[in-house]
Amino acid sequence: MNAQELVERIKAVLGDTVKKIEVHKGEDYIEVEVDKDSIIDAARKMKEFGFDHVHDLTVVDYMKEGYFRVIYNLGSYTVKELSYFIVGLAYNIPRDNPQTVSLTRVYTTAEFQEREAFEGFGVIFEGHPDLKPLLLAPPVAEQRPLRKDFIVKEEPEIKR
Amino acid sequence: MSGFVRGSVGYNDLGLPGMWTRRIGKDVYEVFIGPQHPGSGHTRIIIWVDGDIIVDSEIDMGYVHRTMEKLSEGRQWIKAIPLFERMAIHDACNVTLPYVRAVEKLLDVEPPERASYLRVLLCEINRIAAFLYGFGIFGVFLGHSTMYMWPFGDREVWVELAEWLTGARLTHTYPVFGGVRRDVPAGFTDALRKAIRYMRRRLEDYRKIFVDNPVIRSRLEGVGVIPKKIAVELGITGPNLRASGVEYDVRMNHPYEVYDRLDFEIPVFEEGDAYARVLQRVEEIKQSLRILEQVADWLDKHEKTPIMAEKFWKTAPPLYKKVFQEQGRVKLPATFAIMKVPAGKAYERGETARGEISYYVESNGANKPYRVRIHSPSARNAIVFKYILPGHRVMDLPAIYGSIDYFPPEADR
Amino acid sequence: MGALEILWKIISWPPLWQLIVLGLIVPLLVVIYILWFERKTAARVQRRIGPLHVSPKIAGGLQLLADLIRYSFQEIIIPKTVDKAAFISAPLIALILSILPVVGVPFTDKPEWFPIPMDYSLLVVLALVTLSPIFLIVAGWASNNKFSIIGGMREAFMITAYELIIIVSVASAGVAVGSYNIVDIVHAQTGWKLLGLLNPIAFFTAFVGVLLATSGFPFEIPESEHEVVAGAFTEYSGLMYGINMGAAYLKRMVYSIVLSVAFLGGWLPYTPGEGFVSGYLIPSIVIMVKATILMMIFSFLRAVYGRYRLDQALDLAWKIMFPLAAIGFGLSLAEAYLGIF
Repeated sequence: MNAQELVERIKAVLGDTVKKIEVHKGEDYIEVEVDKDSIIDAARKMKEFGFDHVHDLTVVDYMKEGYFRVIYNLGSYTVKELSYFIVGLAYNIPRDNPQTVSLTRVYTTAEFQEREAFEGFGVIFEGHPDLKPLLLAPPVAEQRPLRKDFIVKEEPEIKR
Repeated sequence: MSGFVRGSVGYNDLGLPGMWTRRIGKDVYEVFIGPQHPGSGHTRIIIWVDGDIIVDSEIDMGYVHRTMEKLSEGRQWIKAIPLFERMAIHDACNVTLPYVRAVEKLLDVEPPERASYLRVLLCEINRIAAFLYGFGIFGVFLGHSTMYMWPFGDREVWVELAEWLTGARLTHTYPVFGGVRRDVPAGFTDALRKAIRYMRRRLEDYRKIFVDNPVIRSRLEGVGVIPKKIAVELGITGPNLRASGVEYDVRMNHPYEVYDRLDFEIPVFEEGDAYARVLQRVEEIKQSLRILEQVADWLDKHEKTPIMAEKFWKTAPPLYKKVFQEQGRVKLPATFAIMKVPAGKAYERGETARGEISYYVESNGANKPYRVRIHSPSARNAIVFKYILPGHRVMDLPAIYGSIDYFPPEADR
Repeated sequence: MGALEILWKIISWPPLWQLIVLGLIVPLLVVIYILWFERKTAARVQRRIGPLHVSPKIAGGLQLLADLIRYSFQEIIIPKTVDKAAFISAPLIALILSILPVVGVPFTDKPEWFPIPMDYSLLVVLALVTLSPIFLIVAGWASNNKFSIIGGMREAFMITAYELIIIVSVASAGVAVGSYNIVDIVHAQTGWKLLGLLNPIAFFTAFVGVLLATSGFPFEIPESEHEVVAGAFTEYSGLMYGINMGAAYLKRMVYSIVLSVAFLGGWLPYTPGEGFVSGYLIPSIVIMVKATILMMIFSFLRAVYGRYRLDQALDLAWKIMFPLAAIGFGLSLAEAYLGIF
């Protein structure tokens, strides 16, 4: 299966919840943008389709545009032909009100990763069983260090 | 037993800022293992025990967190390589290779064939060294001091090979964008073959004293069982996943470099207990030795061709070219430091000794990454401590911890 | 009678003599040798050098003395939260009690050199060796530390498991001979009728029982570093910790002495004669050599085995070792009935 075929199949699986679908360089990473409200539904469908674990949960801060992009990069252990690909299930949430729903009910794997996104960006995942910082000390996590407006003072920017 | 009173920061029963509390059951004994505990590493495992049985457990990680994702946003692309190596210094090549490959994807650069073989060579050397490191730690966790000393001594063989190849024992920074830094020195492949023969002999010794030891077997068999379904659900990775019966290895399922041209197998065990994980690692070392033999054969058969992509090479000053041709050593041209990477996103994975590491790299066209997200194998395996420990005895904790081969600096990033 | 003569009388008075030589000097020498041996053999198995730099000419033999000096100059930290009286006294009492059983062991058959002559010496020795572990539990309890308490509890579990095994299997030596007097037991073994050979089951169970009792590998469970830090001794530092560790080795030495008189023929094949050298020195050296060889075997197991889990060790003790010990006792009864001794 190549990336284009997979894109068609994902479109068929997710139906009209797909807002945008994009194949990135290397032809092995597919980013599927869905609506925030239908994320649990989309995740359920993807899990049935064969993407059985959350490989990685990434949040990217687009400060100028004013939103966070939450990307659940899904992988497959059990379906051999899907395991070549990573599918990023992405949606945007506003930067000033980063409320969203947790996918822990669908993917147990997401539990620790959502805690990490919570401490770094302050994204609140509703329905998470135990939402607290994973790596950082609580006072540091309060400052949301992975946001772009957090400047690391010890590392002055080198102008070239 | 009630759950956490409140999960978030800055709120609790006692009204102390920045602390959280938890009510525990009446007959439950709460034990904090770590981070200054001889058996915990740089992490803390909190267990609640009822008698000798763990009823609940939690892992509190982050004691060696170095904010790598944030730091990498503040420095040039090339400088992130030595930074990311600090996650697992004894597995440096495996850990940084996916990052290098992700950036190469964005740059549209392919490393030459010889460079790919050299990357595989160091990756496998690192992998064996890291497995031996894990065995050593595992041995001492079970009170088996001989199994602590032997693998650590034998690891030296591989560390010194890596030093000969790259110039550094641990943090090699060997793969760079477009190729590798050095070619193999003269006589290296012979030494490599000798090391392979030695390692095969030693694996037999390990089997006699550790793997087949009745005491060790009784400690490990049936302990920390992760069934296949749960392993997939928890998303654990690496040898732990394969010991649970899932046939998944990035080198096979998403071949990178020249792994698709090499002949090797992915060992799989069905039991999913701690003993299967030990056997899994022994088998993986054997497969790595097999790969190394093939790489050594290839290197002997082929001429010394460039180890750096043409794109970086043609702009280099004449002196640099001379050093490269005469010594087989790449002096990095200045273009590397100020290099700008085209905007785009790339996702790359690689199989390290402890499992699959993945990098999400996003560039906005600047000379620094916009966002690098690393998910390391130990971070993915950490969830095991929360879901697998309950129901076991307190003395099973080191057996499970060691068999998972959890490495806190890598998990904390 | 001159003053010197009186002094010599006092020094050569057997109880005092035994106290100084057997109570203080010999254990120190034996423990130093055993620790050196343990570290050196483990190093040899593990392809290391082991202790060397303190005294390179005798292969690092003085390393333990150097360690001892370091321990004695280290600050003894007594945490605020401990029960002070019990915390300080428990290791000291444990040390004294672990060497005390030697008073019941005659190192020769000449009564003038006995510490305390008595007819039931084997039973007295067995009774005395069971005293010291209680103070380990006290030490763990007084420390007010979770790891200490877990370590103390593990020790308690182990005591219940090993005491019965050791008592039954060592007492079977007395049953076979028909006397609990160690001198009689040793005399009965003359002519290579060693109890260790005639009743190997009891000897084996006693051996495993001693491993359990002195937390030797594979039963190093109460002090298992990777779960409970140092068990009952977690809060101890400096010389107090050294005393605790020393007590464990003294206990092992005492057990080895008991095993070597009860199963390995004591001072045999030497027959004690008259006078100090022939009547006391040589027999006691024979016993100590036998005991030291036993201790060396105990120590060597460290390089071979890991440690069992607590429940597995208890399973082994109750389900396999205790029935075996009972069988050994029966074997002794049978031998006594057949009149072999």
